[in-house]
Amino acid sequence: MRIEVNKNILASNASAAGKNRERLRRHGVFMVNLMASPGAGKTSAIIKAIERAPELKMAVIEGDIASEVDSLIIEAMGVTALQINTGGSCHLTALMITSALNYLDLDLLDLIVIENVGNLVCPAEFDLGETARVMIASIAEGDDKPHKYPLMFRQVDLVLLNKIDLLPYCDFDLPRFRQVVTTLNPAAPILELSCKEDSGVARWGEWLTGATAANRAAPAAD
Amino acid sequence: MHEYSVTENIIAIVQDEATRAGAARVGSINIILGELSTFSGQSIEFYFGELSRGTVAEGALLNFINLPAKAVCLECGSRFEPRHAFYACPDCGSPMFDIKQGQEMFVESIEVD
Repeated sequence: MRIEVNKNILASNASAAGKNRERLRRHGVFMVNLMASPGAGKTSAIIKAIERAPELKMAVIEGDIASEVDSLIIEAMGVTALQINTGGSCHLTALMITSALNYLDLDLLDLIVIENVGNLVCPAEFDLGETARVMIASIAEGDDKPHKYPLMFRQVDLVLLNKIDLLPYCDFDLPRFRQVVTTLNPAAPILELSCKEDSGVARWGEWLTGATAANRAAPAAD
Repeated sequence: MHEYSVTENIIAIVQDEATRAGAARVGSINIILGELSTFSGQSIEFYFGELSRGTVAEGALLNFINLPAKAVCLECGSRFEPRHAFYACPDCGSPMFDIKQGQEMFVESIEVD
């Protein structure tokens, strides 16, 4: 006997993501899903955001396969950090974020930054209920990454190009990188920065502050 | 690990449907996989062997049906089938398009005994 099913395999994640998004909207909280390969500078970019936008009431959700290394660094800066250990899974799912949100007082927050598991493949497929998606590429990874991971580059709202101080030492074709990213995603700005040298990071802080304020203003119309 | 949670979802959907139909065994599962989806049928099959063990879906045959990609150009409105993410509109050459079909993944139907 044949049974017609026609059920979306990612429906359970999509449904949880939708609930997360609605919960955040009710509280006027802006949530960023920060994605990058391992070592591109996700934690460093969060540290710079905390330094450059101290007026934002922020919490951080750290996703890693194992360890509390990152959340301890963020907590040491006086910012609430929740650590999710995926225990081998290569990406965060919407339900993991649902659980994490239970531990936060959303009325006291403007911004949540999720540091996704270091990976350019799977995180692009799983909606977490975020308000915006930001990815970090870094000079040492090479300029061909948009060719190899087009889905990731296609669906983000902002691209941070970190470790720009390494440009003289690497065979990184900056105009080519910019051209390919713009072809894939004409709407996403590309910000060049170096977390290590503390250069270009002011614009990252401004982007976060501006987007958080715009989000805060939006639900009032509802 | 990319397909692990996806395979868990497939088994949950199949168990739900099979139970509702009072079926003892699932013979085959027909899965529609969009051409632009990054999920791999081979990986799903690999996890399915392990994860379906002891469930009503154990031993079922997985059939993957390819769903072609369809897009609409944001510049000229032309409809075409993008072959990859870097495709440009065949009519005006614009790289900006909306993907209308081809990223889906769903359980279309199952055959039960």
